[in-house]
Amino acid sequence: MTAPAYARRATPSTTRVPLTVYGRRWCGISQMIRRYLDRLGVPYEYVDMDANPAVEQQLSWLTGGRVRSPTIRVGDQLLVQPSTQELARALARAGITR
Amino acid sequence: MAALPRAIHDLEEEFAALAGEIPESPEKRAISLLHGIVMEMWRNLPGDGAEPAGGFPDIAELYRNAPPMEAQAINEPLPPGTPAPAFALSDPSGEVARLEDFRGRPLVIVFYPLDWSPGCSQQLDLYQQELDEFRRRDAELVAISVDSLYSHGAWAAVRQITFPLLADFHPKGDVARAYSVWREPDGFSERALYVVDPEGTIAYSQVTPYVHHVPDIYELFDALDQIAGVAQGR
Repeated sequence: MTAPAYARRATPSTTRVPLTVYGRRWCGISQMIRRYLDRLGVPYEYVDMDANPAVEQQLSWLTGGRVRSPTIRVGDQLLVQPSTQELARALARAGITR
Repeated sequence: MAALPRAIHDLEEEFAALAGEIPESPEKRAISLLHGIVMEMWRNLPGDGAEPAGGFPDIAELYRNAPPMEAQAINEPLPPGTPAPAFALSDPSGEVARLEDFRGRPLVIVFYPLDWSPGCSQQLDLYQQELDEFRRRDAELVAISVDSLYSHGAWAAVRQITFPLLADFHPKGDVARAYSVWREPDGFSERALYVVDPEGTIAYSQVTPYVHHVPDIYELFDALDQIAGVAQGR
């Protein structure tokens, strides 16, 4: 029996929370964020914005045109050039860290 | 703390998928801006922990609104295998640091254009964050610019930088010239990295293609690991 739509929506996600770093190799803040995640041992996808310019259009749509390096997707939240403290709070909110 | 509600996730997915369906227009821009505002509001939700104490955060963040520094490199670095040129430069306490002081351990020399500037603030913050990684590789780290030792002292205090900032102040830029990274039109150096091996020979060098580019730290760690590998193979 298939659950009704409202029930499907209420089901907590069992998939891993997506964590993506959109950055540039030569960007100091991107490197700080990546190294911060490396040290935490949190797996993440890294998308090089120079090598994948097509992602800028979608980032522009989601951020009101503020395409900056780095932009971090933590689950459904997008963080434009976060500090490591802001990122730490977002990781905790998303249940990635405690 | 609980993850975000599932409903928000579904709404986000639907919103993201709409991007290609709405023609470019002021209305699309307005919707995008509203979503950007919502994203920014997440950042201001109360956190579990306090911001780290110390430093001067307002001054430390000034660089974010400072004029950009963007120019192509005009120099090639000294190649690996070259003996590292000697230097004797003051640190913020007035102590003179010399190349030979670091003999016996790998030394990372960071040339950066100017204290207080955008790229330099990010770059040195990165190295401060990674000091343990340099120590783990038994490497020393110094950073050199043409600023005075007093500017270095204030900047280090604001950014909480604990590795030596050396003043290539007078004669201005002499050490940068010796290392082939002097930008005569600007009066400051390229953004450049040298790794000097324990015997005083340049093992790795890089001038970034643009002065606002921060060198890839993973590549720097690889260079240090190679030196360690060479030393172990002896």
